[in-house]
This record gives sequence, structure tokens and C-alpha cells, in this order.
Amino acid sequence: MSEDSATPRKNGIAPQKVLGIFALAMINVAAVLSIRNFPSMAVYGWECIGWYIIGTVLFLIPISLAGAELATMLADKDGGVYAWCKEAFGEKGGFTAIFCEWSNNLVWFPTVLAFIASTLAFAISPDLASNPVYLFVVMMIAFWGTTAVAYFGENLSSKFQNYGVILGSIIPSILIIGLGVYWSVSGAAIVLPPFSLGEIVPTLDLSTLPFFATVILLFAGMEMAGFHALETRNPRTDFPKAMAISAVIIFFCTVIATLAIAFVIPADQLNLAAGVMQAIEYFFTALNIPGAIAPMAVLITIGGVVSLAAWLIGPAKGLGVVANEGNMPPLFNRTNKYGSPVAVLVIQALIGTFISLLYVFLPSVNQAYWVLSAMTVELLCIVYFLIFAALIKLRYSKPDAPRPFKIPGGIPGIWLIGGMGAFGVLFAFGVGLMPTGDFTSAEAVSYTLGVLLGTFLLAVPPLIFLKMKKPGWIVSGSKGG
Amino acid sequence: MTQGNNGSWAVILILMLFFMLPIGWLLVTYTAEPYHVVSGEPLREAVQAAGITVVNATDTTWPVGGAVGGKTYTLSDESGNIYTIQTQAFDSVESRDAAVQLYNSQSIGRGRPVGKLIIIGNYLIYVQPYTGKILKKIAPELRKLQAA
Repeated sequence: MSEDSATPRKNGIAPQKVLGIFALAMINVAAVLSIRNFPSMAVYGWECIGWYIIGTVLFLIPISLAGAELATMLADKDGGVYAWCKEAFGEKGGFTAIFCEWSNNLVWFPTVLAFIASTLAFAISPDLASNPVYLFVVMMIAFWGTTAVAYFGENLSSKFQNYGVILGSIIPSILIIGLGVYWSVSGAAIVLPPFSLGEIVPTLDLSTLPFFATVILLFAGMEMAGFHALETRNPRTDFPKAMAISAVIIFFCTVIATLAIAFVIPADQLNLAAGVMQAIEYFFTALNIPGAIAPMAVLITIGGVVSLAAWLIGPAKGLGVVANEGNMPPLFNRTNKYGSPVAVLVIQALIGTFISLLYVFLPSVNQAYWVLSAMTVELLCIVYFLIFAALIKLRYSKPDAPRPFKIPGGIPGIWLIGGMGAFGVLFAFGVGLMPTGDFTSAEAVSYTLGVLLGTFLLAVPPLIFLKMKKPGWIVSGSKGG
Repeated sequence: MTQGNNGSWAVILILMLFFMLPIGWLLVTYTAEPYHVVSGEPLREAVQAAGITVVNATDTTWPVGGAVGGKTYTLSDESGNIYTIQTQAFDSVESRDAAVQLYNSQSIGRGRPVGKLIIIGNYLIYVQPYTGKILKKIAPELRKLQAA
């Protein structure tokens, strides 16, 4: 098949080939690079380098290489993670992987939406952050606005993400890095101790296990570009380049910007419970440019919105492909004239709105949210485990399939890369089941069983849908919206 | 109603059911933490009752709306492990809950936020790391304060 031909989807709509290397790279950067992470990591000082290296070795490198190989091998298949896992494990594997990613999103949406609203409040009036009506209104504007962007198809959403990620993620990161460099060369005191190799070695013990698991998923989202295979002009050559570019941008922006914050703000002043904007406020006040705080809040808000957009569009497109292939009823199969899975987007927005309502108006249910967030981590681990397993399995089941980008080293190489990634996410899955120290023994058992059962319930619907599957669910050329 | 429509409603019902089951279970199991004014220093009392040494305590006020002050405690167990735990009192249930929301929205990547918040009346207690032995020791004492 020609790389440039417009491969029609099963719904009869030919996707627009609008994405190049830059746009693909920006989709991944939007999904992964977040200013939100910097203060939390800066607390660890030089040690953050070691933690970032762990996240890079156990996840960022494996997922980038896996994504590049699978996306180029299956460049003519729509659905990203769904197509990759389906190729290896059939419909059950593919559907389970994409559904886990989608249901993980639904629980994560309120978190990022609350982050967007509270960060924007900092630019307007910080007191607004404790007003639930303000929070909910801004959250819904961001959520439904981003859904509307997704509705108008790849052309608009890729432009939105390209500009948004530069404004909201890359420029703020560069600004923080630049100011950190300025702080260093201006002779101001760097609050970190003198650098030595020993300083970057992370403390690994039982108490740091949860953080270890968190760091592994720090770079989650590198597979987002894969959902846009059919909209990519030259997928076989563009995907590996886009993966490499995005991985390099994400790694360097994250590490250096985190260090810049650690140079300026003493660890005991980085109050993690108070949030990223309080750290940014301290940073800019220390640098004598308090006037930059509000504009920075606006930029970080934009960064939050594009991150939301990347995660909102990708898995929804994947689930749309599942529906197009007749694995869900025709209601879910509706695609509009822009090629967007309009039914999935609307259902996603409705469920996300409902969970956001609970999040905002039942906020004192702290423990419940803690457990729910554990389930979402487990769901994500399932997705990535299936991706790494698919990468390894396809080398055995389809050894001769053309792979324009192939992880070097043959079978040992694929086991090393896939194995490291799989080990990382299995480890994170195991740690996600660990109860916190304040639980009683009975509560600890209830917590672990509850997380396992909840994860199972959020992951199992695809297997039920496949059992219910009817021939009439395959509707060619369906259009709606 | 067509067969396809029947399938659609069944799938929507299953979707709703499978999302509501875990969320419903959580809402029933983990009820809202009540707001009441806790006098004194709840953490110091819990720590002393658990036989843990307070190495240092400094005043701190979190830069969030409604925070009225608290302390940063440096604790040491019998093995010499050092932990830092922060407490913060809030002037209303709204400001306390807003701080909880703000904290929950500060996750790292797609994971969870660093550390854990425990709610005791008008206080938030920030614990990092949350798997340490000290938290296990002081938890029963904190629980008594929660129930008070």
C-alpha cells in the first residue's frame, strides 16, 4: 500500500493525511511533558536525575522504541494501541488494552480538569480555587471545549495541539530553564549541595517504593501519536523520527527545568501539598519578577488543556475504531464528516462530566479518591504491559512482517527492551496494590482486594461486549453528528 | 426497537454499571471526613502516644486559601530513620476540602501525587513517605483523634 494513499476507514471515510513529524512529536510532548511534575521532582534535588534515569530506562526508552516499531509495522492499521495489541493477541487483547486506557482516562479527567481550573484561578484570583462553582464551570468549559476541538477532526486538533504545546509546555519549560541558568550565573546562592555522582543515586528502600512506581509512569503517553497512524503523511519514516524528537524534548525539558527549580527553591519550601503554582510563585518572587506569575499561570493552564486534548482524543479514536470494526453497537460507531468518533466523544464527555461532578461536590471523600486513583494506575499498567507483550510476541508470530523501524539486537534486543518495559509496569502494578501505612490490617486487605476488583470491573467490559457481539453491529459507511 | 438498538442500550447499561460499581463501593466504604476543630497539636499528641521522638518542629503556613498555620515535624524512630510530616489547620470545611482537591490534582505524570494527605477534623496531615513504619505506629493514635 502506498504510504501516501488515503486508506479508507471501515466507515467509508478517508482520513485526511495532515500530520508530519513535527505534529506527531507535539502530540506526544503534549501528552507527557507537564510543568506539574517539576516541583514534586525538584524536592529530591540532584537525586531527581537518578529518578529520571530510572523512569527513562524502565519506561521512556522502551515505550518509545516499542511505539516506533509497532507504529511503523502497522502503519496502515487504524487504532494505535488497539491495532498493536489486536495484531498480537486478537480482538480480546486489543479491545482490553484500548478500553483500559479509555476507562483510565475517565477517572483521570477530573484530576487534570481541577488542575486546569485551580491554575487559572491563580492568574485571576487565587481564592477562586476554593469555590466549587468556579471550579466546576471552568472544568466543564475546558472539557467540553476540548471535546469540541476533537469533534472538528484531525486538522484542527493537530493545530490546536501544536500551538498549545509550544505555548503551554515548551515555552514555560524553557523559561524556567533560562531563569535557572540566569540564577546560577548571576552569583546567587544555589540551594543544592555541590554536585557529585553520589548525589544523583536515588534512595531505594521500602519507603521509596511508591515513588519508584510513580516515576516509572512519569513518561506515560508516548504511545499517543500511534492513534493517528492513518492521518500521518509518511508513517513508516515519520513515526520513529517523531518518537525520537519527542523523547529528547521531554527528557531534557523535564530534567533541566526540574533542576532549575531545585537550584532556586529550598526543598523544605517546596510544599508539595500546596501545588505547582505556589512553587512557581516562590521561583519568580526569588528572581524578582513577580509580574511573571500570572502570565505563567495562564501558560501552564494552556499546557494542561493540551495535555487533556492529547489524552482525550487518542484513546477515543482507538475506541472509535473498535466500534467501526463491529465490536460495539452501531450507536458507538458514529463518525462525523471530519472523521471524528463523535459518539465515543459524547459518551466520554458525559461520563467524565458525571465523575467531575462527584469530584468537585464530594471533595472530602479523600480516601475514596485515593483508592480510585490507585485503580487508574493499575489500568494504565495493564495497557503498557499488553503493548510490551505485543512487541515481543509479534517478533515470534510475525517475524517476517516488514518493520521499517526495527529495535536492534534481534530476539535478545526485543526481550531486553520489551522485558525492561514490562518489568517496570508490572512493578508499578504491584506497588499500586500496597496499602498506605495508616490502614489497619482489615482495611489493608479491603484496599488491596478493592483495587484489584475495581480494576477488574473497569477492564472487563470489552470481554462482555465481545460475547454480546452481533453481525448487525458492523455498519459500513455509518455517519452521524 | 431494532436489534442493534437493543445492543446499544445493553452496552450503555453495562458501561454505567461497571463504572458505578467501583465508584459506588468507594463512596459507601470511605465516607466523608467530618470537619471539627481539633485543639492542641494533633500530630504531636499522636507521635508522643506512639513513643516516637520529635526531633524538631517549626511553624509553617501553607500558601493556600484558608490555611491558618501548622507545623513541620521532623520525627525519628528507634532505628534512627528520619521522617518529615507537615500539619496544617484550616478555617473552614470549604478551604480544607479545596486544599485536598488541589493536592489530588498535583499528580506526577499519570500516577498519584507524592505522599498522602490524612484528614483530622480541621487539620490536614501530609505524610511522605506513606509506607514507613512511623505512619503505621502513629495511625492508631490519629484514628482516635479522627473519631473524637
